[in-house]
Amino acid sequence: MALTTAPDPTRRGPGSDRAHAARRGPGSIRHSEGLAGYVFLSPWLIGLMGVTAVPMLLSLYLSFTNYDILTPFSEVEWVGFANYERMFTADPSYWHAVRVTLTFALVAVPLKLAAALGVALLLNRAWRGVGLFRGLFYLPSLLGGSVALAIVWVNMFNRDGAFNSLLSLVGITGKPWVNDPDWALQTLMVLAIWQFGAPMVIFLAGLKQVPTELYEAASVDGAGRFRQFRNVTLPMLSPVIFFNLVLETINGFQGFTAAFVLSNGTGGPVDSTLMYTLNLYITGFTDLNMGYASAMAWVFLLAIAVITAIFFSTGRFWVHYSDGEDR
Amino acid sequence: MHPATPPTTDTSVGRHHGTPVPRRRLLRGLLAATVAAPLMFGAAACGDDDGAADPNAPVKLSIFWWGGDARAKLTEDALALYTKKHPNVTFEKTWQANQGYFDKLATLTAGGNPPDLFQIDDNYLAEYAARSTTLDLKSYQDSGKLDVTKFPKSLLEYGVVDGKLAGVAAGENTQGLVYNKTLLTKHNLPEPTTGMTWEQHIAWAAQVSEKTGVPGTQDPSADYKAYWIWLRQQGKDLYKGNELGFAAEDVTAWFDLWKGARDRKATPSADVIHEGNSSDVTKQLVVTGKAGTSWVWANQMPDLKKNTKDELGVVAYPGDPSAQWARASMYWSVFKGSKNKDVAVDVIDFLNNDQEAVKLLGTDRGLPSNLDLRRVVSDDTTDPAMKQSIAVETELAQKFGQSPQVPIKGHSKVKSELVKAAENVQYGRATSAQAAAQFVEACKSAIA
Repeated sequence: MALTTAPDPTRRGPGSDRAHAARRGPGSIRHSEGLAGYVFLSPWLIGLMGVTAVPMLLSLYLSFTNYDILTPFSEVEWVGFANYERMFTADPSYWHAVRVTLTFALVAVPLKLAAALGVALLLNRAWRGVGLFRGLFYLPSLLGGSVALAIVWVNMFNRDGAFNSLLSLVGITGKPWVNDPDWALQTLMVLAIWQFGAPMVIFLAGLKQVPTELYEAASVDGAGRFRQFRNVTLPMLSPVIFFNLVLETINGFQGFTAAFVLSNGTGGPVDSTLMYTLNLYITGFTDLNMGYASAMAWVFLLAIAVITAIFFSTGRFWVHYSDGEDR
Repeated sequence: MHPATPPTTDTSVGRHHGTPVPRRRLLRGLLAATVAAPLMFGAAACGDDDGAADPNAPVKLSIFWWGGDARAKLTEDALALYTKKHPNVTFEKTWQANQGYFDKLATLTAGGNPPDLFQIDDNYLAEYAARSTTLDLKSYQDSGKLDVTKFPKSLLEYGVVDGKLAGVAAGENTQGLVYNKTLLTKHNLPEPTTGMTWEQHIAWAAQVSEKTGVPGTQDPSADYKAYWIWLRQQGKDLYKGNELGFAAEDVTAWFDLWKGARDRKATPSADVIHEGNSSDVTKQLVVTGKAGTSWVWANQMPDLKKNTKDELGVVAYPGDPSAQWARASMYWSVFKGSKNKDVAVDVIDFLNNDQEAVKLLGTDRGLPSNLDLRRVVSDDTTDPAMKQSIAVETELAQKFGQSPQVPIKGHSKVKSELVKAAENVQYGRATSAQAAAQFVEACKSAIA
């Protein structure tokens, strides 16, 4: 499902310096070292070529055909941009899926990051038993995209599920959350937000990197808790926030499992959980329009690439790297 | 993901078993077998070259079906029986739940590695037949290698796509309206009967809701098979040739019929209807106690029964029962590119016409297609749920009308669009007419 490789902020620093050095002086020893490097990389390279690159290029080709899975490749017809045209002009459910996905990502990603940062701040203290809490908060993301979790979620948020039983204790009559087209997507959002463990752990690691003398200096200058958070924590943490934002946005766009399980693979009720990837899957495998589905996948890849590029270009203005250089 | 049973590795099969073999070939076979076991298959291949069709050459036939543990057990037993009679044929059996089955089948086909023999249903038969994935079995029917003379005529015809025999019914079923008998007797309410009009059915359901507090009937407006029957009773059909057999007005009338039922509280609330629409047979509303009836296939009765303590009954869908037909609950189809076509066809013949095999399989895939053997099975069966479903289906079979054409390419999309349109109306997000117009538009582009 990983359509894009996430940028890895740890790839900065010494490694890239060395790469520069190597480029500057390509002596014969360096050259053979490079060759050896490729040899060592070869299992991964072969895997990348065979398992990722070739199928990807093939899907690019298929996106210009009427491929329906069942027809052999040799009989597939080239249809030019027809699939792309259909997507942009004649397929209302495609745009519906785009809207659902954008809504999901725009709401769930910021809230998930906020929850992750909030809990990370709370757990970044020397309390007794803080390790246990870190583990507990991380647990939901270990269960990650698991099907079992989604099934539990569906049962919890049914008309007669556990959540409504809780509500009824305080005298509120709940809704059939997962079976209500006005609430099903929100239920999925809550599930996604609840799994904030992974960004939380990264935030925690980031918080530990903030030098304590900065806080000391700030408090000497008379800054309160909030000022310290705004003027020290946030800027120092901005690379980590950036990393989490990019990663979680991509994840958010690609959400599939929970929507699939909740709607029994249909995107229902009434297409309210028809995420982009789910629509793509239905188009390819249920309706057997694999050529069209391939076109959807490529537009999706491009869209995510553009969004990521936008993040990177705005990053200049708010991401602060403490090594002093302005990147 | 897919609990595949390990392929049968029955190597105890000797080449000298079975029908008498010409002496020279036998000797050569024995010789080959004694040289080295791994060479056995090579030797058999040699035999293939000069004999063209050595009936005793070892064949490993791949077979793929969907279903639960019970079906797997029955099918494995029947296939073992085939291997006993034809020791050179062994099976590579794969089976899994219905969900995901067609993804897997399509992927296997795309990979150029589909099973020799596979189970398929009318939702996909035309899709596969139109792409020439399935073998046309007509020539086998003509030559008598595939005996379908005991099949009901309409059941056989329901496997024909564009003049080709694309699938052979593995069993017969028909639409069945299953109701909760216990609930009705407890409240002294009449049971529904075959031949009730739709209005009578809705009035009956409203009465059930009122007396029992349980919504009388599941709202089937999203259910293509109920809509289909209703259409046929209006002299229309789901498809006519390569086009839709109905217009937006028909859909509007159908949605309005059920809107009326909801207004009379004959059906559950929209979210419960949705629950019924989106769950598999084990969680149908009649089983979970959320409605008095569910709209299913008659052969699903035993499955439903397993999931409830209540007594269940089954009748035809409302309206004139001659709109129902002998439907192939599922088919056996042979992959066109299979290397073992003849054997695959022979296995289909065996599963449908061998008395022992048919008795083993029972009514798990529907009533046996072979009418003579159907009688034998119904005389022998002891399972009450199976008995009941046989009795009802046999009774209905006398009222069956002509089969419609097999649903065309794009049918799966039409099905899901109907669910969307009907639920839009149920949740009050669209009027019947709006939803109907959208539905017809979507259908047209789906089957184009």
